[in-house]
Parts: sequence; C-alpha cells; structure tokens
Amino acid sequence: MSDVFCSDCKRHTEVVFDHSAGDTVCSECGLVLESHSIDETSEWRTFANESGDNDPVRVGGPTNPLLADGGLTTVIAKPNGSSGDFLSSSLGRWQNRGSNPDRGLIVAFKTIATMADRLGLVATIKDRANEIFKRVEDQKSSRGRNQDALLAACLYIACRQEDKPRTVKEICSVANGATKKEIGRAKEYIVKQLGLETGQSVEMGTIHAGDFMRRFCSNLGMTNQTVKAAQESVKKSEEFDIRRSPISIAAAVIYIITQLSDDKKPLRDVSVATGVAEGTIRNSYKDLYPHLPKIIPTWYAKEEDLKNLQSP
Amino acid sequence: MADQELEGSEPVDLTKHASGIVPTLQNIVSTVNLDCKLDLKAIALQARNAEYNPKRFAAVIMRIREPKTTTLIFASGKMVCTGAKTEYSSKMAARKYARIIQKLGFPAKFKDFKIQNIVGSCDVKFPIRLEGLAYHHSAFSSYEPEIFPGLIYRMKVPKIVLLIFVSGKIVITGAKGHGFDPCETSSLVFYPLGVAKLAENFVLEQRLSQ
Repeated sequence: MSDVFCSDCKRHTEVVFDHSAGDTVCSECGLVLESHSIDETSEWRTFANESGDNDPVRVGGPTNPLLADGGLTTVIAKPNGSSGDFLSSSLGRWQNRGSNPDRGLIVAFKTIATMADRLGLVATIKDRANEIFKRVEDQKSSRGRNQDALLAACLYIACRQEDKPRTVKEICSVANGATKKEIGRAKEYIVKQLGLETGQSVEMGTIHAGDFMRRFCSNLGMTNQTVKAAQESVKKSEEFDIRRSPISIAAAVIYIITQLSDDKKPLRDVSVATGVAEGTIRNSYKDLYPHLPKIIPTWYAKEEDLKNLQSP
Repeated sequence: MADQELEGSEPVDLTKHASGIVPTLQNIVSTVNLDCKLDLKAIALQARNAEYNPKRFAAVIMRIREPKTTTLIFASGKMVCTGAKTEYSSKMAARKYARIIQKLGFPAKFKDFKIQNIVGSCDVKFPIRLEGLAYHHSAFSSYEPEIFPGLIYRMKVPKIVLLIFVSGKIVITGAKGHGFDPCETSSLVFYPLGVAKLAENFVLEQRLSQ
C-alpha cells in the first residue's frame, strides 16, 4: 500500500503490490503501473539433498559492496555427458584463467571468514574486518607483507572496534603461522594506514581486564556467582597501581576467585583458558595479594577465607 | 617539588629545565662523510679493533675505547658513529676514526658531520596512569599492553618519540638537532601536559602508603 501517481487517474492513489505476479496495481482504476518487479530477497527454497549438475538454486550469494562489481559473475558451465567437443569444455577452463581483479580480495575474505568461524565471531565483526582489509589494500603499499599477519590484524582491530576485544594470543591461535610480534606490527601498520587515509586517527580504546572476564570464565565453566564476583573484583582492581598486563590481572583474579570457591581450578587450567603463562599468573598473584581484602567483594568471601589463601 | 635537586650535585637550573627534570643522554648516533672511496679489506687487516665480515655485512666495524664508541665504515667513505654519550664526544670520536683512516693512507676528510639520533632517559619519580594518558592524547599515543608494556607517545613539536612506562621512567628518542636541546624541551612540554593527570596517581600512592 503506497502512494504513487497513477497516469490514468491523473492523481496520487493507493497502490497495491501483488507479490504473486510482481505487479504494482492502482486500487482506483486497476491499471497495472509496473509489472515483473524483481524480488531481491534471498532464495526461499533449500536443496540439501540435491547434488550433481542440476543445482536448482536460482540465485547466488548476497551482493558484496566491497568487491569490484558486487561479486557478479558469468561462468561458462561444463557441458553435460563429459566433453562433447574440444571447444565447449576448454572454454570454461580458459575463462577461469583470465584475470579476475578481485581474486586476492576474495581469497582474503575467505581466510578472514575461516578465522572468524574458528573464534565464533559474529558476522558484524567479520564484515568489519573485510572492510578494514579492503581499505588497507586500496593503498597499494601493502605488497610484500605477511598476508596472514595482515588478515589476523584486521580481525583483531575489527574485534576491538566492536568493543569485543580478543587477545592477540587468541587471534594467534587461529591465524596460520602468524606470530604475536608479526600481528602486533601489522596492527600498527594498519592503524597508521587508516589514519593516513581518513586523516583522523582510528578510534580504539585500551583493553581492560573486564572485557575478557566473561569469556575466560565460561571457558573454565565457572558458576554465575563466581563469574559475578570475578567481574566485580577486576573492576575494583583497576584503582590500584598494579603494573601488569590486563590479561595477566584477569587470569590472576580468576585464579583467586576459583581458589576461594568450592570448585578450585588448578593453575594449569586457568593458564590454558586465558593463554597466560603459569609463572605470570603466580607473579600477578603476588602483586594482587596485598590488596585482596579491598578487591574481593565481601558478599563472596569473608576475611578468614582470604587468610586461608596461600601466601605467595 | 619544582626546585628539588634531582640530578647531580648542583640544583637544577629552572630557567633551562622548567620541569625540574634533566634527561640523561644515553646514546648519540651520527654520520659523517670521509669523502673518499675506501678499501675495507685493507682497513680490516691493518687497523686494530676492526672486524669485517663481507658475507654478513658490507662494512667494517671499528671500536675505540675513549670515548667508548663503535663505528660502521662503508666502502663509499660514509661512516656511522654510535655509542657516544654527548654530542661533543660523538664528534670527537668521529674525528678520531677519521684520523685512523687517514693514518692508514686514505685521503679522508671530515665532511657533513650530522647527528642523526639522540636517545635520552629520565624519571618523573611518580607512577603514571598510561591509560588516562592514552585517552587524553589519543592522537599521539599508542598504548597496547599486550604488545609492549610502555606507551609510545609521538610528539609533533619537537618531532620526538617518548616511551612512557608505568614506573615513571621515560625514554626519549628520535631527537635530531641540538640547537635547543629537544631532549630537554620534550620533557618540558610533556611534563605540564601529563602532570595534572598523573600527579593524582602519585598523591593516591602516598595516601595509601600512610
């Protein structure tokens, strides 16, 4: 139901859109104003079982504005009944060998999608990472750089920008072959490139221990109450002058909280879940120990329980 | 606090160092052109304290004891001198190296002596909240605790990079000209910018320790 100018009635009239025939019909005089409108929604039939040559799906994937022509292509198909004459079967091969301006981009997007999948990231982060990569690629100066590290850094920055930061170690675990150092360098490079391009430096806040608490706790399978206590503790610990990386502080706080609960997690489990080395957690524990009474919430553990905690 | 004695036996001259902090110079890198082609093999064979490994690096590495410096001497006649603690001693060391080359028989001159980099360090003596600094000066700061524990502050005027650590220690690098001692100027610029934000932390620290 919308208001469109009808040429017969010579005025704006109510118009009905008929989905079955794809017609736009004037409700006053019945004139068909537009026919055969193209439906831009996704394919509603699914073909899980059908395989082989006659794939009845009528549409391709969603248009990708980052690719050069929206990802539209025309492909010469292989003829049925395996190669009739030489020409028709080789045509398909020759067409594919022709230069595709987006090939690098498509491969890169695919890699980012794989990495995002492994980490369980939502589509918004994946799309943002794709966008960042395209913006960096547009400035041709990124040739000869370790592509894996660059893609991993795009993903890292995308996570940060969406306020769902992932530690570099986590990104490392899904990026094939990129080391922490390389990802760090690539990240600096990307930030600089984006800053040059837009003229305004990229918005990226510092990481806090609290951002990672939820994820680390659920990796360890902690109960809701312990998770809540851990989050509160981490918030309070920010006021104190503890000179450690936020991830190490998070890991140490989780260790302390689990030691205070009934379900004590060994140091090794906490180390594996957070990616922090055991020695680092021990040292962070030493740094936190003097401030524990102020950090741990009183509803969770009393003073005596804190005294029972082993002294570092 | 402004006129405390911080370095050495003399009180700090506040007309020169208004923040009361004197950065100590740690390293000076300079280059000079000897203006003649050199035979590196001959130099390596004849000179003392010279090493030359053409497969690894295409320059002679020479060291002298006084002032304690190292230099890279290239076949084109250009030379890089590192390790000096003051600008004057860097120049003196470069002259000594040029003299050594002259004594070996090459017509070495002393053209275009230029200081390329000055590295200094200083201590503000109070802990610094790097996150607060990164938030307020986000255009210049880069703070990634996962990657490097210090905050990298790229100052525009003078064009200098400072590595700022939580302990209050600061490393200043990238200073080139020595007309107005950018090392000291940068700490001067930085100190008033930072001190309001950061001094709160120091006061907090004092109250906690009481």
